[in-house]
Amino acid sequence: MNGPLIVQSDKTLLLEVDHEQADECRRVIAPFAELERAPEHIHTYRVTPLGLWNARAAGHDAEQVVDALVQYSRYPVPHALLVDIADTMDRYGRLSLVRHPAHGLVLTSTDRPVLEEVLRSKRIAPLVGARIDPDTVVVHPSERGQIKQTLLKLGWPAEDLAGYVDGEAHPIELVEDGWALRPYQKQAVENFWHGGSGVVVLPCGAGKTLVGAGSMAQAKSTTLILVTNTVSARQWKHELVKRTSLTEDEIGEYSGTKKEIRPVTIATYQVLTTKRKGVYPHLELFDSRDWGLILYDEVHLLPAPVFKFTADLQARRRLGLTATLVREDGRESDVFSLIGPKRFDAPWKEIEAQGYIAPADCVEVRVSLTESERLAYATAEQEEKYRFCSTTATKQKVTEAIVRRFAGQQILVIGQYIDQLDELGEHLDAPVIKGETSNAQREKLFDAFREGEISVLVVSKVANFSIDLPEATVAIQVSGTFGSRQEEAQRLGRVLRPKADGHQAHFYSVVARDTIDQDFAAHRQRFLAEQGYAYRIMDADELLTDS
Amino acid sequence: MSTEDKPAAAPRSLAEALRERDDASLAALLRSRPDLITPVPTDLTQLATRAGTRASVVRALERLDRFTLQTAQALAVAEDPAAYGELLALLAGDDGGDADPAVSAALPRALAVLREQALVWGGDDRLRLVRTARELLAPSPQHPSPTGLGPTVREATAGMSPGRIQEIVTTAGLPTTHDSVSAVTALTALFSDPVRMSALLDEAPAESVEVLERLVWGPPYGQVTADPAPRLRWLLDRGLLLPTAPGTVVLPREVALRLRAGRAHRTPEPVPPPVEAAATHRPQVVDATAAGQAHTALATVEELLKDWHEGGPPVLRAGGLSVRDLKRTAVALDVTEPVAAFWVELAYAAGLLASDGEADERYAATPAYDEWLERPDAERWARLATAWLAATRSAGLVGGRDAKDHSLAALGPGLDRSAAPEVRHRVLTLLAALPEGAAPATGSVLARLRWERPPRGGRGGVTPADGGPRGAAGQPGDGGRGTPADGEGGDDLRSRLARWTLSEAEMLGVTGRGALSSHGRALIGAPAPRRPEEAEPSGPGDKLPVHHRPAPPAPVPAPLSPAERDIASAAAARLLAPLLPEPLDHVLLQADLTAVAPGPLERPLADMLGVLADVESKGGATVYRFTPGSVRRALDAGRTASDLHAFLTTHSRTPVPQPLAYLIDDVARRHGHLRVGAASAYVRCDDDAMLGEILADRRAAALGLRRLAPTVLAAQADPAGLLEGLRAMGFAPAAESAEGDVLITRADARRTPPRTPPEPVPDGPPVPDDTLLHAAVRAVRAGDLAATAPRRAAAGDRSGDGELPRTTAADTLATLQAAVLTGEVLWIGYVNAEGAASQRVIAPVRVEGGFVTAYDHTAEEVRTYPLHRITGVAELADEEG
Repeated sequence: MNGPLIVQSDKTLLLEVDHEQADECRRVIAPFAELERAPEHIHTYRVTPLGLWNARAAGHDAEQVVDALVQYSRYPVPHALLVDIADTMDRYGRLSLVRHPAHGLVLTSTDRPVLEEVLRSKRIAPLVGARIDPDTVVVHPSERGQIKQTLLKLGWPAEDLAGYVDGEAHPIELVEDGWALRPYQKQAVENFWHGGSGVVVLPCGAGKTLVGAGSMAQAKSTTLILVTNTVSARQWKHELVKRTSLTEDEIGEYSGTKKEIRPVTIATYQVLTTKRKGVYPHLELFDSRDWGLILYDEVHLLPAPVFKFTADLQARRRLGLTATLVREDGRESDVFSLIGPKRFDAPWKEIEAQGYIAPADCVEVRVSLTESERLAYATAEQEEKYRFCSTTATKQKVTEAIVRRFAGQQILVIGQYIDQLDELGEHLDAPVIKGETSNAQREKLFDAFREGEISVLVVSKVANFSIDLPEATVAIQVSGTFGSRQEEAQRLGRVLRPKADGHQAHFYSVVARDTIDQDFAAHRQRFLAEQGYAYRIMDADELLTDS
Repeated sequence: MSTEDKPAAAPRSLAEALRERDDASLAALLRSRPDLITPVPTDLTQLATRAGTRASVVRALERLDRFTLQTAQALAVAEDPAAYGELLALLAGDDGGDADPAVSAALPRALAVLREQALVWGGDDRLRLVRTARELLAPSPQHPSPTGLGPTVREATAGMSPGRIQEIVTTAGLPTTHDSVSAVTALTALFSDPVRMSALLDEAPAESVEVLERLVWGPPYGQVTADPAPRLRWLLDRGLLLPTAPGTVVLPREVALRLRAGRAHRTPEPVPPPVEAAATHRPQVVDATAAGQAHTALATVEELLKDWHEGGPPVLRAGGLSVRDLKRTAVALDVTEPVAAFWVELAYAAGLLASDGEADERYAATPAYDEWLERPDAERWARLATAWLAATRSAGLVGGRDAKDHSLAALGPGLDRSAAPEVRHRVLTLLAALPEGAAPATGSVLARLRWERPPRGGRGGVTPADGGPRGAAGQPGDGGRGTPADGEGGDDLRSRLARWTLSEAEMLGVTGRGALSSHGRALIGAPAPRRPEEAEPSGPGDKLPVHHRPAPPAPVPAPLSPAERDIASAAAARLLAPLLPEPLDHVLLQADLTAVAPGPLERPLADMLGVLADVESKGGATVYRFTPGSVRRALDAGRTASDLHAFLTTHSRTPVPQPLAYLIDDVARRHGHLRVGAASAYVRCDDDAMLGEILADRRAAALGLRRLAPTVLAAQADPAGLLEGLRAMGFAPAAESAEGDVLITRADARRTPPRTPPEPVPDGPPVPDDTLLHAAVRAVRAGDLAATAPRRAAAGDRSGDGELPRTTAADTLATLQAAVLTGEVLWIGYVNAEGAASQRVIAPVRVEGGFVTAYDHTAEEVRTYPLHRITGVAELADEEG
């Protein structure tokens, strides 16, 4: 009884990372417990029904879970908790969706009362058809996703055994010349393929695109890739051409400007969710080809309408890629029921330890408002307050000082407010990329930055996602989107790509003291702190006198 | 069965039987039936009489185990007295002990118990059931016996005509006799003889046999029409069914016994159902789990009382905790309401919380709680566990309703169940009898408890609540045992208590994973655990002497005496102590502003951390989170930033993370920056020299002045007092309004909002109007008339004025009738229903049926008076007319 694990009554698991059995224990509990926080000494995992069902879906049973807890726990595990775990896991698979030779998609049960219970639910009634026998009921094929989602909400998750359509075959191979999939990427592809559908969670910069490419090479079929924006779409295309046997012509872009449908088509969420006269005109994209694989990039950003379309795509293999399953809207369970359970994840620090992402030094710099600013802040309208404090002039001075300190390195300045960015661009004599910058201009600037022709780039939040800036070693965040945790993670991700020269990455967050800017910053940072990226906090004066 | 130690002469009464018993045996009787010695009987005859009283016998029967009760029931349907062999045949069937060795093995013990309890007396050849017991247990139409047997032939034919009896005897194939008594004897002999009886039944038509089969296991009564069907007729003619009342027939006891092959019960249960193990865990796991739970129990009770630290919830007027407060407590403890009720009741039972007895009554921790806190963990647990074992209050009842349909509140009245301690103790001893680490199947525990003490009113009980269904179509009754189907069920109080015991023992850490832990074993004073290979104690010993020694084979251990309890609880604490986690003196601090205590903390450390950080998650470990609010709380509690840094450095195993240190400094930097205080008035002056002068003046001391700023003084005196004071000192201060304007002392004429003038409140009622006055005058006049009218003296009326007229009834009637004719007005004396006498002036309208209807001048309305209430009449003086 001296294991590394402490089981709490609120079903969190505390894992002491310095314990000799910690690694072993982590591997055993990872399938059913969600890593919630990974600061330096004690990692917190949470056991949720979703996690337990995930584990069931991945072929683990309650006995294994209970054994793992009992074996590694430092203190005796409360009996009630073990019973509860067994009960919860037992709920999975009482119902299953299978393909019936005569009736098509059916919902069957090994436990008749459960079937009776769910069929009596008002939300299930419209999704099912005739009762074939006491244990089987027909499900409208189009409602496969919907019924899974609803059953999950009712607490009786269905096991989807109805299988997948293969889709139209298309040869895709990885071209591994001078590079190879990293072990964890291989593992991720394997887990996904074995599980059928699901989500792969990897830190930014850990090569999620390659996991996508690897999965496509596995599927060897036509693929629909959904990404957040056009820049990201180009990025995917570029990467796919480089890493696989696919040629430019085989990859289509379906965005606001181009509407190409090719064996591999990359579409943006934006174009799919464009509504005209109350309908989504671009929805037909899903039916335009017999897709064998659908890839969702940045699945934590998946807009609500796309969830709805996804519900109709349950017969196709689906892969979600993300750095974090945290959704600010709390729809994690929809991701589980519609795209699939989490198939792979790895803590950031672990990948950093393997050398695949750069170590980062995170610093929060606190600037004080001047007296007149403080007065103005106190009297500002509520909705203006954040803008006011996050664009204080003092930040500019601090930013300049940091840029000076890291002169010669590739520096990104990231902010929310265009005025502030324009001003900064002027002072730092650096180009600014913002919403109105044309895509061509953006790519030109990115290329220049990549080549080292320019060393400082000021970007607005348009650059948050999926652009690849390999040589950025310093990021300075002057303002953020209120308290968005995943944005902070994305921004840190900008500097985490491994550096050619093994440089340490630096992430500076400039925050106005004693204002809501500080509160929002604390909220954003909590996620990173919990990932083990603890911030140092510095006073601006300290920084200014240092440099 | 040994009968060698034959007494000199067979006892002829219970008193004699008692007299023959030795002291130890009598002591055993009094121990098992303590009601017999309150008050102490003067002699054995009195003891015997008291032992035969109905209340005492009922009480004794209720406490018998199922087989002993079955034995008593069998004796009640046997001849009185019965021989041992007859009794054995009734329980085991015609073949006696050979057919059912378990019964023959168990019977001596059952009989010994009955004898010990003075329910049965007499030697083995003449066993006698105490008469009261026999009356209680023998079948009668009002109280069908659990055996399902009916009355004997003799009883059933008691009211039958001799002719009919002779007919039956003849039809049954017996010679006629001279009298009914010998006929009945012959019939009884026939029914009791297996050979002749089977010959008789062989002749029976198949349908008739079917009827018998339906009635054989009871209830033995059936309904027949006035003209019975041939199959019934055949039975009735031969006395195999006897009429009891019009339309009802009964299967005589002898016939039923024959059909049952002599057995009184369908299923005798000589052996207690074994308690089965549902699962077996390693004893170490059991102990560790139980210890973990014990630790949680301590933490929960502490948390509960900490939650109520600053004034617990109020006491309901009817006593107890309101449902809302229980809900709130459940949320605070993060448990369900029944579980919260358990913890609250536990703390109450252990004397850790009670009502404060103030006018506004609230619950609060007792001084004993503070003492308890100081004790080592294991002792604290033992105290809780001991209190739980002995408590008659049952938390499981909370939320239910009592007999008057009042909801039962936690800590409220009506939760005491006297059986609770005994059931708890028994359940735990049953667990202790299992091999170490074995968790029992709940159903088997309940079945065992039901065997040991058949539920009252249940099918195996002494007095079945209902008369049982009657009718020829009645289902075969169950000969007195619970079917296996209700293995889990059973909502009688003892079963519910037992189920609560199992779950509460788990929460308290007496059991772990359902199996009794070693400290739990010590707690009930049970012997060292049995190894699994040891056999279950075999059936009852078969060499028991008949008298003199009680000793059932597996004695149900009695709950411990207080002294034993102390020893047991100390032993339990000793065993538990090494299993409880050692308190730690350190925590792990992390950069995400959390601190993790990987185990229980030493109390001062835990207290301090509880102030400095918020608890985020509890369990084996505690996770604390530092927030600006929590750090401020610590600063408010008088700590300085450097205190906090030192505290964290001392107690952290790892360096204090920079963000945490920064947080403390940052909060400390701003802490106390703004100061808030109370003042009643202020003095403001641009000339700080003058303020200095005021402060220096001794006369200003009473004003409570303090300099807040060079130009501002705060005062404790109110503005008016301050003005007075300053003026007295020779200054000329001016008052200032809230807006800072100078107040003009010439007060503005103040106005109220619109008001209506007050309504006048006259002294006495308003002046009446004419109609009212007129009516009043008439009434007064009429009354006056009645009281003062000069009248002619009626016959025999010698009374003076103001007295009721008295005339004879005949005179009264005659005068009234005359007045009706003449329309005269009369003066009467009248006594109302309450006996109050009055005088009235009436003009009679009608006299009939003993009533006079008249216009009553006094009341000014037509009224009717009963003549017998009229004391007398008198004519009014002529001058009035």
